[in-house]
Amino acid sequence: MSSIAQEGSVRNLRGPNRLDIRAEVWIPLVLMIGALGYPLFLLLTSAFNVGDPEQFPARVYGFDNFVKLSRHLDWIGNTLIVASGGTVLGITIGVSLAWIIHRTTMPGRKWFDLLIAIPYPLGPLVGALAWSQLGAPRDGLINRFFTAVTGIQSPLIDIYTPLGIIFTEAVFEAPVAVLIIGAAMQRMDPALEECSTIFGSGKLRTAWKITLPLMMPAILSAALFMFTSMIGSFAIPTMLGASSRFYVSTNAMYILLQGYPPNYPLAAALGLVLIAMTAVAVWLVQRVLRGRSYAVISGKNYRPRQVNMGWMTWVLFAGALTYVMLSLVLPMGTLLLASFQSSNAINFDFASWTLRNYKYVMFDFPTTQQAIVNSLILGIGTGTLGVVFATFIAIATHRSTSSGRGLLEQVTMLPQAFPRLIFAIGFLWMILTLPIQLYGTLLAVLLAYVVVFLPLAYRGMSGVVVQIDKALEEAARVSGASPMRVLRTVILPLLRPGLVATWALLFMVSVREISASLFLSGPNTQVLGPAIFSFWDSGGMPRVSALAVVQALIILIALTVVRFMAGRGVRV
Amino acid sequence: MLASVQSGQVALSTDKASTAYIEVCDLTVAYGSKVVVKNVSFSVGGNEHLSLLGPSGCGKSTTLRCIAGLETPIGGEIIIDGVPVFSSEKRINVPTEKRNLSMVFQSYAIWPHMTVFENVAYGLRTQRVAQADVKKRVSDVLRMVGMEDYIDRPATDLSGGQQQRVALARAYASRPKAILLDEPLSNLDARLRVHMREEIKQLQHEFHLSTIYVTHDQEEAMAISDRIIVMREGSIEQSGAPLDIYNKPRSRFVADFIGAANIIAGTSQGTSAAGGPMIKSGDALIECAPGSKLAAPDSDGNHLIAVRTVYPEMLRDAPSRPNQWPAKIVRSVLLGDIVSYTVAWAGGELRLHSFPNRLFSEGEEVQIHIPAERAIPVLAE
Repeated sequence: MSSIAQEGSVRNLRGPNRLDIRAEVWIPLVLMIGALGYPLFLLLTSAFNVGDPEQFPARVYGFDNFVKLSRHLDWIGNTLIVASGGTVLGITIGVSLAWIIHRTTMPGRKWFDLLIAIPYPLGPLVGALAWSQLGAPRDGLINRFFTAVTGIQSPLIDIYTPLGIIFTEAVFEAPVAVLIIGAAMQRMDPALEECSTIFGSGKLRTAWKITLPLMMPAILSAALFMFTSMIGSFAIPTMLGASSRFYVSTNAMYILLQGYPPNYPLAAALGLVLIAMTAVAVWLVQRVLRGRSYAVISGKNYRPRQVNMGWMTWVLFAGALTYVMLSLVLPMGTLLLASFQSSNAINFDFASWTLRNYKYVMFDFPTTQQAIVNSLILGIGTGTLGVVFATFIAIATHRSTSSGRGLLEQVTMLPQAFPRLIFAIGFLWMILTLPIQLYGTLLAVLLAYVVVFLPLAYRGMSGVVVQIDKALEEAARVSGASPMRVLRTVILPLLRPGLVATWALLFMVSVREISASLFLSGPNTQVLGPAIFSFWDSGGMPRVSALAVVQALIILIALTVVRFMAGRGVRV
Repeated sequence: MLASVQSGQVALSTDKASTAYIEVCDLTVAYGSKVVVKNVSFSVGGNEHLSLLGPSGCGKSTTLRCIAGLETPIGGEIIIDGVPVFSSEKRINVPTEKRNLSMVFQSYAIWPHMTVFENVAYGLRTQRVAQADVKKRVSDVLRMVGMEDYIDRPATDLSGGQQQRVALARAYASRPKAILLDEPLSNLDARLRVHMREEIKQLQHEFHLSTIYVTHDQEEAMAISDRIIVMREGSIEQSGAPLDIYNKPRSRFVADFIGAANIIAGTSQGTSAAGGPMIKSGDALIECAPGSKLAAPDSDGNHLIAVRTVYPEMLRDAPSRPNQWPAKIVRSVLLGDIVSYTVAWAGGELRLHSFPNRLFSEGEEVQIHIPAERAIPVLAE
């Protein structure tokens, strides 16, 4: 009788419909609203600032900045062209590859599934750097090869064009679409298609009438993800558009902020327009998806029906192989090749190759050496902090009974809709107004990374938390385990594979990041992305390439480790 | 009537004061503004096996989860072994882990990251049982459910039926005061379900503790329990011993939900010589169970009686007597162990069950007899 503890047990008593906000929800909610809201507030006030441009928050307001901006509509137009073109091309690649891998009997599907995932963590910076050496009109490797083979002097391709930018963006963002759409394909009950064929529909009609509509939500969310990420992309348009003076909003902002004197208000106004564009895109997609039931796409994994495409299989194989060549083999090969050279011109004479560039970036040059170390620290820090926060928020939103848990989820996912470069500017202004000295420290970059990558982390962890049957926790509690013991013995072990995968994802995106750290990393806190960029800016292709290869290697090692660990982990 | 049942149970459990019993008073649960359990009161004796039976959404699982502390009611009181674990008035809500119960879940809730041994030992380890004892108790209880050979297997290797056995072993291993079972058999196939039902019954005999068993399957409830509480839309519809509920359903709902019954509607026609009320349905005058009273009429002014399909007799030649009418077989369906007939008679159509040893053919003229004590007045709503 005495075993039932009565003391301190008065809790959880509440009536229906009462607002009930608990600590596990309101603490992260307040933190997130602060970390997101204040930078946005500073951007907003600065965009309307017509007084002292370096005043945060501003004191004198007006519309002058937007009037000035209307003279540069080409920046916004170019951004839209690149983002829409890139999204259309990227989704086309993504849908085709997802279908080839998951729905056909093409040989080597498993290998392609692995290879296709790699270009995304390698990132746009590596992509732009490699393709600028592959597709440059005069001395690009592809054009040199073309001229050598055919004797034709005019170049075959020119990567320094809007089309080249769209192509590179699409190629390096496509893996995300393959992942999202492929996952939806695996969760679709094949009976839905089988039923259609039984009623007499052919392959094509079934694909058009049944498969495509069911895949639409996944395709649209992949498209939204790509579009917002391309609106905010910096490395590709800057490195491939600079020579032809093709400006999109992000590099225009970079120039406005780097100029003397820096034009903060105009950059803020431009940033606000970009945020408005992504907000419209989010709103449009949600409108289209509203009322669509996901019930047919269950949480269960099915073995999708695989179609034998006959002789077409080899066409598909060639297509998949082409993608791997364009996104992985050629870019990485070019970077490797360039990193062994002693001058900007690539030559194929083995004897002249050297490892000097690696020695220089890793040991001799303190800036790049420090950048490598800092990036590793940031990767580990972002991975750890991000996973801890995301797990906490995921458990709170899925398990708490508190009011406001839906709001917490939305606020956590909100940074997804902000171009990272713009958020980083607001964040920079925020830390400048803070009484503590954060500017120029690694901690400032770390905090910004955690905020901008929290949606990614939350998406990963929430997917795992959702899959854990609540009864598994309840069974432990009925067995007499306290909430902390339930967390330690049941929840965390079940989350482990998800924790490892999410940690590695955060590590990789942090190591390759440039947009969020471009302005935040000070002279004494160099990190890899901005270091590669400024190296590129000052010339010296072999050394930049060597540094990019080092970055790629760090990412590839992380990727291999997680594949290995996930393969042996407990499947929930 | 409910009050008398309750006091009876309380008396029973004080006789066996060594084991726990559970009392639920005025339990009310709401999700948002939707009330899913309304003022439910019952108690379970120390050694009693109670079933909460009802269709999905009737509040039976919610009631069970409130007892376990997995849901928080908005009102009422729950007492386990004389100690209030929940009371809205006294603002008491003892957390689940301190209620000293055990539970078997519909999804089994076998932890996939542990072995069979670790699953079963979990509760013992939270109780800080000595390691040697843990080993012994785990293997003892696994032997009881026939899973001792699987003791070191990872839980993910088990089939549904094996997971169910491990879940049962886990629940009984910690020697709780009471065990709660939430539709434990509903994910098994029919044959295995019957088999596991027997095993649960066997375990109940070996461990003398109070059991609350939630199910939507009337057969399961009848087979397993000492007493059944039929729930409907968040309230108790009827409570009693399985046979009482079967033979004397209080309402049309209970008559339909448990077993198969004919519901006959008719107008009141006074009292028969034997002392039972009489109703007229169509051209048939039916004598009801002696001593019973007709329930309130439905919206059409008709009183309802329930006649279980197994009780009417079918005869080829029989002398005339009360409650016997000529009838014609409209349809006969062989269901295996029983034959289901539909017959046309003065009161309309009647369904009745019989055995394959005496078959009647369709179109055959017969006599049907409804024993008066099997014509039970029931509530309409």
